[in-house]
Amino acid sequence: MTELAIVTEKLTRRFGALTAVDNVDLRVTAGQFFGFLGPNGAGKSTTIKMLTGLLAPTSGRMHLLGLDFSSHTVEVKRQIGVVPEGMGLFERLTGAEYLRFVGTMYGLDRATTLRRTEELLEFMQLADRPKSLIADYSHGMQKKLALAAAVIHGPRILFLDEPFEGVDALAAGALKALLGRMTARGVTIFLTSHVLEIVERLCSHVGIIHQGRLVAQGSIEELRAGIAGEEGSKSTLEQIFLSIVGQSGAERAQIEELSWLT
Amino acid sequence: MADVAQPVGILKQIRLIAGLRWRMLHNSLRRKQNRLDLLGLIIVGLLAGAFVIGVCFGLFEGAYEFVSSDRTTWLSLFFWAVFLWWQIFPIVAAGFGVSFDFRALLRFPVSFGAFYMIGLAYGLADFTGLAAVCWMLAIILGAAAVKLTLLLPMMLVAVLFVAFNVALERLLGSWMERLLARRRTRELFFAGFILLMVSLQLLGPMLNRYGNSAEPWLVRVLPYLAYFPASLAGRGVGAASAGNYREFVLAAAGVASYALFFGGLLWLRFAAQYCGEELSETPVPERAIRNRVRQKYGADPLGLLSPQVAAVVRKEIRYLLRNGFAALLLLVPPILVFALISRATLFRYSGEKGGISPELFFPGLVAYIILILMAPAYNSFAYENTGVQTYFTAPLQFRDVFLGKNFVQVSLIVTELTLCIVAFYYRVGLPSAPIFTATLAAIVFTVVGQLSIANWSSLSFPRKLAFGQVHGQRQSGMAVLVAFGAQILLFGISSLILGMGRWTGDRWLPAKAFALLAAAAVGGYVASLDALTSYAEKKKEKLIEALCR
Repeated sequence: MTELAIVTEKLTRRFGALTAVDNVDLRVTAGQFFGFLGPNGAGKSTTIKMLTGLLAPTSGRMHLLGLDFSSHTVEVKRQIGVVPEGMGLFERLTGAEYLRFVGTMYGLDRATTLRRTEELLEFMQLADRPKSLIADYSHGMQKKLALAAAVIHGPRILFLDEPFEGVDALAAGALKALLGRMTARGVTIFLTSHVLEIVERLCSHVGIIHQGRLVAQGSIEELRAGIAGEEGSKSTLEQIFLSIVGQSGAERAQIEELSWLT
Repeated sequence: MADVAQPVGILKQIRLIAGLRWRMLHNSLRRKQNRLDLLGLIIVGLLAGAFVIGVCFGLFEGAYEFVSSDRTTWLSLFFWAVFLWWQIFPIVAAGFGVSFDFRALLRFPVSFGAFYMIGLAYGLADFTGLAAVCWMLAIILGAAAVKLTLLLPMMLVAVLFVAFNVALERLLGSWMERLLARRRTRELFFAGFILLMVSLQLLGPMLNRYGNSAEPWLVRVLPYLAYFPASLAGRGVGAASAGNYREFVLAAAGVASYALFFGGLLWLRFAAQYCGEELSETPVPERAIRNRVRQKYGADPLGLLSPQVAAVVRKEIRYLLRNGFAALLLLVPPILVFALISRATLFRYSGEKGGISPELFFPGLVAYIILILMAPAYNSFAYENTGVQTYFTAPLQFRDVFLGKNFVQVSLIVTELTLCIVAFYYRVGLPSAPIFTATLAAIVFTVVGQLSIANWSSLSFPRKLAFGQVHGQRQSGMAVLVAFGAQILLFGISSLILGMGRWTGDRWLPAKAFALLAAAAVGGYVASLDALTSYAEKKKEKLIEALCR
């Protein structure tokens, strides 16, 4: 039987009257590269925050690697890595200091932490500026460092909230190769991105959330098959996404009304 | 073609920004946390207001007395006091300033004139400026109550004096911010500052030895002070009182020249900021040498702590050393204590009456140091920024975070107290054994007792502060209020116990009572850690939101 890495049951999060995530039932198999898609404000970041312990659900359950998150919080966190929204960096440390801090926090011994820090800084091409504070890194460098911190302890699940935003093409290529190798070794990757081409190229499975509800989930082929007709079998992820979440007629009409802009 | 934005006048821009500030305040009150924050600020504001009004009465009475006894030029003393307050207090109390970085306005098409005026206006809008303006008004009213004809000349001098002080204060603040933003200049600044403070400690003994021979030299120097703005302002008022309007105009012109000079320098500083000056770290290009991360397998000085706690301790120390302003504030208590000790020693050497007994002086000094050094613990996540998320994504109990932070806090207090006690021992001598023992037990009681409350406050009333920045910072109002309340409570209990020792005649009673309370505080602290871990889980969303915003 295939091992499930992430399972949620009726996962819900409300902010006052707003239901940001509404009864979401996710199933992500171990070793999958899972893309989590949705328009702005759909509930992607809220879901990822709940799955990584940054936000408590209003109701519902979450199981990661077979463990109930609410009762095995520390054990679960030990096995996951996160690049959260805003990256979660301590900006007044240097890159090496931050990686050493995170490695120690995740319980790595000193020698391993130092060795992996050095290797990760080299791999991410951040070793050139050992004395620079993270605050002085470019956005792309900060993204790479956040990713390095998320993998330093060798997690079994990796949560990435917009990992390629602001990363140059060269670095993005290296990161994609790294993530590919990780999934090949059985690491589950849960990724959100607005760039659908990247998701299509990297992910084997996707989930689409819209207005807090999970409206589609499965492999890209399964979703493609869900679109009727011959065109369905050739459609790109963007076409699939638009057909599910779709731009409404009202939105198109609003654009036409902005005549003063053109 | 798209429309092009029309230029907006200075007044309209200022009105827009005032509206923006009001809208921000109004919208922030939608959240309970911010309403509590405002409530805390109002209460702290009322207390600060009482202080300002008290001083106002003093200045009014003083000005009245000087003018009615025809010693109008003595008003210079008040101008000097206001000047020193205005320039020195903001450095000590920058944490209580306004929380709006007006440089953020640069992304809008704000004209340089409006930018400059808004910058100046912010110099008047903080507590220091408002208090100084109130005091100036008190001086004016005190003098005018005796001689109404002084009202207009005094108002003119006061306006010029205020303009000078605002410009100088903004200029100093701006330069200090710029200096402390860079590591190298920050280190040089600290070195200079420490040297200066150490040199000041030699002032007392030097005065003792060379005081008499220096007097004629001092008398020669004093007249030169007459050309400084505070003295000029006093002289101007004196001249107006005597009907000597030529001298009044000259003195007022002198103050105006200072205001214009520093206003001009401030213009240049703001112009640099307006053009997009970057205050960030390491502007000097680094050599592109691939420094390998040093492999250190030697003994770890923090080896006795759990790895997670040790990691937090290292991070806290690095943050402290890199936060120029916070590090600077750490130096203030021992320096002031040394100054107080020197003064007490002077009393003893000179044989004057009024020398303070170590029995009271020693516990008082200790209480003062704890009072100052514990304040940051009440908002201990202030500089974490988005990094705070790491504490919740990492596999650790939140108690480890508090243990690490509290360890650093206690280590700092112990180090500073040890330094001060040693200095006290050499200069004044230690108090009697019962008082000494009672004070040591009281240190444990008040510090550990406060830590539990401070940890709770840090989770309940977090507020993000800009790292290393002097201006545009405001602490969480409720955190300040909680700190104030906790300190009044703990120091009140301590004073009561010390008093009971005196009344009952049992000199060891305070030591016994404090030892019991210290044990209870330690027990309470240990018990609170687990409760705080659960509480952190409940509060994490608000904490993350407050710090990552």
